[in-house]
Amino acid sequence: MALSGMRGLAVFISDVRNCQNKEHERLRVDKELGNIRTRFKNEKGMTPYEKKKYVWKMLYIYMLGYDVDFGHMEAVSLISAPKYPEKQVGYIVTSCLLNENHDFLRLAINTVRNDIIGRNETFQCLALTLVGNIGGREFAESLAPDVQKIIISSSCRPLVRKKAALCLLRLFRKNPDVVNVDGWSDRMAQLLDERDLGVLTSSMSLLVALVSNNYDAYWSCLPKCVKVLERLARNQDIPQEYTYYGIPSPWLQVKTMRALQYFPVVEDPSSRKSLFEVLQRILMGTDVVKNVNKNNASHAVLFEALSLVMHLDAEKEMMSQCVALLGKFIAVREPNIRYLGLENMTRMLMVTDLQEIIKRHQAQIITSLKDPDIRYVDVILQLIDKAGDFVSDDIWFRVVQFVTNNEDLQPYAAIKVKEYLDKPSIHETLIKVGAYLLGEYSHLLVRRPGCSPREIFNLIHEKLPTVSTSAIPILLSTYAKILMHTQPPDPELQKQVWTIFRKYESCIDVEIQQRAVEYFEMSKKGAALMDILAEMPRFPERQSALIKKAEDTESDTAEQSAIKLRTQQQTSNALVVTDQPPPINGTATVNQLRLVKVPNMSNSDHRSTDQQLTHTDGMLTVVDPELPNSSADLLGDLLGPLAIEGPPATPRDGVPIEDALALATVGEQPNSVQPIGNIAERFNALCLKDSGVLYEDPYVQIGIKAEWRAHQGRLVLFLGNKNIAPLVSVQALTLPPSHLKMELSLVPETIPPRAQVQCPLQVINLRPSRDVAVLNFSYKFSAHVVDVKLRLPAVLSKFLQPILLNTDEFFSQWRSLSGPPLKLQEVIRGVKPLSLIDMANLFYSFNVTVCPGLDPNPNNLVASTTFYSEITQAMLSLIRIETDPADRTQLRMTVASGEPALTFELMEFIKEQLITIPSNPRPPPPVVEPPNIPAVSLSDPVAMLAGLM
Amino acid sequence: MPVAASAIYFLNLRGDVLINRRYRDDVEGNMVDAFRMNIMQTKELGTCPVRQIGGCSFLYMRISNVYIVIVVSSNANAACGFKFLVEAVALFKSYFGGAFDEDAIRNNFVLIYELLDEIMDFGYPQNLSPEILKLYITQEGVWSPFSSKPVDRPVPNATLQVTGAVGWRREGLAYKKNEVFLDIVESVNLLMSSKGSVLRCDVSGKVLMKCFLSGMPDLKLGLNDKIGLEKESELKSRPTKSGKTIELDDVTFHQCVNLTRFNSEKTVSFVPPDGEFELMKYRITEGVNLPFRVLPTIKELGRTRMEVNVKVKSIFGAKMFALGVVVKIPVPKQTAKANFRVTTGRAKYDAAIDCIVWKIRKFPGQTEPTLSAEVELISTMNEKKSWTRPPIQMEFQVPMFTASGLRVRFLKVWEKSGYNTVEWIRYITKAGSYEIRC
Repeated sequence: MALSGMRGLAVFISDVRNCQNKEHERLRVDKELGNIRTRFKNEKGMTPYEKKKYVWKMLYIYMLGYDVDFGHMEAVSLISAPKYPEKQVGYIVTSCLLNENHDFLRLAINTVRNDIIGRNETFQCLALTLVGNIGGREFAESLAPDVQKIIISSSCRPLVRKKAALCLLRLFRKNPDVVNVDGWSDRMAQLLDERDLGVLTSSMSLLVALVSNNYDAYWSCLPKCVKVLERLARNQDIPQEYTYYGIPSPWLQVKTMRALQYFPVVEDPSSRKSLFEVLQRILMGTDVVKNVNKNNASHAVLFEALSLVMHLDAEKEMMSQCVALLGKFIAVREPNIRYLGLENMTRMLMVTDLQEIIKRHQAQIITSLKDPDIRYVDVILQLIDKAGDFVSDDIWFRVVQFVTNNEDLQPYAAIKVKEYLDKPSIHETLIKVGAYLLGEYSHLLVRRPGCSPREIFNLIHEKLPTVSTSAIPILLSTYAKILMHTQPPDPELQKQVWTIFRKYESCIDVEIQQRAVEYFEMSKKGAALMDILAEMPRFPERQSALIKKAEDTESDTAEQSAIKLRTQQQTSNALVVTDQPPPINGTATVNQLRLVKVPNMSNSDHRSTDQQLTHTDGMLTVVDPELPNSSADLLGDLLGPLAIEGPPATPRDGVPIEDALALATVGEQPNSVQPIGNIAERFNALCLKDSGVLYEDPYVQIGIKAEWRAHQGRLVLFLGNKNIAPLVSVQALTLPPSHLKMELSLVPETIPPRAQVQCPLQVINLRPSRDVAVLNFSYKFSAHVVDVKLRLPAVLSKFLQPILLNTDEFFSQWRSLSGPPLKLQEVIRGVKPLSLIDMANLFYSFNVTVCPGLDPNPNNLVASTTFYSEITQAMLSLIRIETDPADRTQLRMTVASGEPALTFELMEFIKEQLITIPSNPRPPPPVVEPPNIPAVSLSDPVAMLAGLM
Repeated sequence: MPVAASAIYFLNLRGDVLINRRYRDDVEGNMVDAFRMNIMQTKELGTCPVRQIGGCSFLYMRISNVYIVIVVSSNANAACGFKFLVEAVALFKSYFGGAFDEDAIRNNFVLIYELLDEIMDFGYPQNLSPEILKLYITQEGVWSPFSSKPVDRPVPNATLQVTGAVGWRREGLAYKKNEVFLDIVESVNLLMSSKGSVLRCDVSGKVLMKCFLSGMPDLKLGLNDKIGLEKESELKSRPTKSGKTIELDDVTFHQCVNLTRFNSEKTVSFVPPDGEFELMKYRITEGVNLPFRVLPTIKELGRTRMEVNVKVKSIFGAKMFALGVVVKIPVPKQTAKANFRVTTGRAKYDAAIDCIVWKIRKFPGQTEPTLSAEVELISTMNEKKSWTRPPIQMEFQVPMFTASGLRVRFLKVWEKSGYNTVEWIRYITKAGSYEIRC
């Protein structure tokens, strides 16, 4: 490195390193920045050496985390320096300080281009590396053709060409629309004839990106790939520097096989034959050896080969050979290898006709169930211990949920947190999670030494003085739990705990105070305490917000976008399984194993058994009784206002717990589409409010937002795709009843992954009616077809507007409306017993105003509202309820309005609200006959008058 | 009397405990961990000197590179706690020869433990006077390896000192030459708008004394303060002499001042302790004589150039002069270069504090030196961030000038032997936070 000569830089770095504290460092850095600014501003200009030196310093300051917002110009200008040392600095600093969105980069495009098309190889390399790191759209537009030229140029050295291939790969991944790859198939094929393995590896990466985009154009490359693979497998003409532990370029092998998996079939018999020969050779030639690195490399190759074999639908003989090989793997002691073996065995199972062969290994597989897992709890506790400040609350909530939902984990977790609490000084979050878990599960440890309730209590209580207010409530709960679990009761411990409770009874923090008071009172109840403070119930299984967040962040990175691209462009006969990284602490080779194809046909065959029910049933209004919302609320109450999401899937024995942490496990969706939450309850809630969720299942969520103005309403349906794959064949149809006019705007047929579509829906109310509109919603997700019928909350009460009348207004109206059909009266029995205040609140909830003080009898209730429809326009409606204080289950209701239909419908509507018949949302047939509605009554004023009389 | 401390900790900037002393058992020994985790390692450090964590209060302050933390669990008197800290630091400084930092603490472990034992008992502050403590804690602090060994003095009876009628003064003192030094030290705090109107201004002053007097002298101090003068004229039934009278606010006295006499006669009379002490403190908010006026004009010419013109006017007597005047003129962060023209003194650009620092060693009264600078800025990536223009700051010392106008009218010394004394009186005005918006 050219650093050796720069004394000033070395002095500066040693100064910064010698700084005693952060403040000194900042002062030193600020001083240096001032110096650099002065130098850069100097009119006389700087020698290239000086410029280089200061730009290096700037980079160093930038790397220390300081904001460097000047000097980019100088860095960029160094790129055009004629000499290598300066140019190198320019390129390095520019690619560190800037990203593709910076305008400054535009200034460099020309210089970079000159370097790329120039004759100097080192300059070409520098330029290609820069573009390969931070090249954006503009670079792609102006440089792609030049880069392409270099790749195929025969006059360039391999060194340059391989950089060019990688550079083009980046440009293509970032802007596939800009880089013109039409007619590139011939050139790619030509490139694959290359003898130099470096160029070949880079070209293969490029090919993988190209075929993932469009394999059809690259059929000609297929035989070449097979040739490359043959060459590698036979170890022909492989230079020493491209062998890794004796394996000829494992990277290239893996990439080639990956590329081959993008082609649906290999038809050419000779290619197929030689490909199978190669695969055979790989399968036979791999064995488990001592050296970890060699193992990693050879296994990477082997497992890619296995995927390819599965993809190609090889002969049964070969398949059984694969299974035998995997059988050997799963018998190995080394857990990583066994994991990989089992993992691939699972994939094998999806290939038809192999079950029998695999069954032979059943005993071994069952033995593997006893393997200890790397536990989620361990990892997170370690994380909190080491970097507690950066661990947000929802992370430790998840630990609690995990442990609560996994019984066999509970004693283990309790032991583990106790170990941490034994340490002298620990992070507050660890105290919180430790206290919670010990409160719940420390009784499981009672027999162990040092785990008696009193010892546990002392251990936790020791921490109390050091924690902040937010943790004290948790500690108090823990004390109460410990007290409850102490059998037989320990009077001394009880005394201690009571003293603490009493101390906090007057705490200024309401939460702490309330807990202290309540726990104190409760703990006096003795045995009854057992019921109140019983173990927390399991958390409902839900998609975790944490995982969602992780997915969202993940999808930003370039590599992920490439994966997503591939996912979206999958043809019908292949499915991409994005799996968690294999647990090998290893090499890049192995990490690339993430993408594996599985033939789709066999895949769906195996999981459709359970789905049949849901498919044929069509209408999905089944309520899942296994989702007690209250349990979530309990913990929410315990832990404060943060929402808690349950784990996405129950990890059962043997399934590695990290599975739940894996990102986007498309292959592990539940087998039937169950709605989340109670659809009827959601509907009822929406009848009383204007926005909320109408329907939710694992794939889609339908939200609704409504605005009501007189007889018109504007609803917006929010159709949200919750998954990383698109929802297709989306259809939404409204089935309005005769009194509503509905207009639903066009619903797109496809909802892109993780996207939300808004569909406005116009509603016009023509006349009073209680009928409810229905939305017929259907979509297809992978193999699932979901069709649901949902009631839309465009109910009668939405067209009511509250109005408050005074005595005169009310009674003049009341008297003018006399007798049926304008005024109806009915005695209703079997109503929900409600106090008058509750009833008034109920009325308010559906926009009916109670006018207080109008009725002299305190047991009566008088209310009014305005109803809007196109026919009636605004119409005043009056209601009177007479209750019997002796029997709240019956009342007499009188409803009056200027329109017989409205009177009847409103009466029935209120009756529905008052009567509790949970099994039947419809009211019983009305006691009185529906009045004869005069068809012309409203258009004819005379008739109207007559009605009034 | 309320408890002031349950425990006291001395920590370095990293949070290691240098030395600690627990006075009461009502706080746990690991409470300082909570301080380290919840205060030192967060951004809240330095925002609030009192923090409560888990039922304990932490009172802390930073002196050079040491954090001193008082932990207290009951409803303590925070003001008392801080006063105790300040006094304790002054005590340590007088023992260590002026320095109080991490090294001084490490070098004087034994002494500090001894002092900590003495100055507080079960959480209640005790005698913190260096003069008295030095009588019976004779172990000298480690000053420097070359300091001469102090003369051994007989250990006097400390109990007598603490319990006597004049607790702060030893009997039987004898000096060859009887001298009294009196300094009036004032610091001026000012915030002025760019147009020259005063937004906030006050003076906090103290009267410092150093006495080398034999026997048990009685001293009487007369100032030109309003109440004292009015009372005097009332007593002597003659009209107040013309001249400026000063209204003092918030006067606090040293314990030696006889308060009953002050209340009845409004004169400051006292039997002084031997050596150095602070006789009184006061504050003045009205009628402040500002020593300097600053007239800044700062023009931003485009995005890369700035013109700064600052004129500083001294408005005290022409025969007086200010010392160590420093004017700090803030400039934007992206300043690259500054060219100066100054009529006196020296100016330079200091990148570490983003200021032009203009230093004038000797600044005579009734003069107005100017600084004009051309500042060049470098262009940056995010141009939108506008510069907030922090205020100009000034530092100075003006001897023989009081911003309040306070004067000593007389200082009478009366002792039964009737010796003659020499009185030395000095005035000095310093800058507190002297800020001018620009």
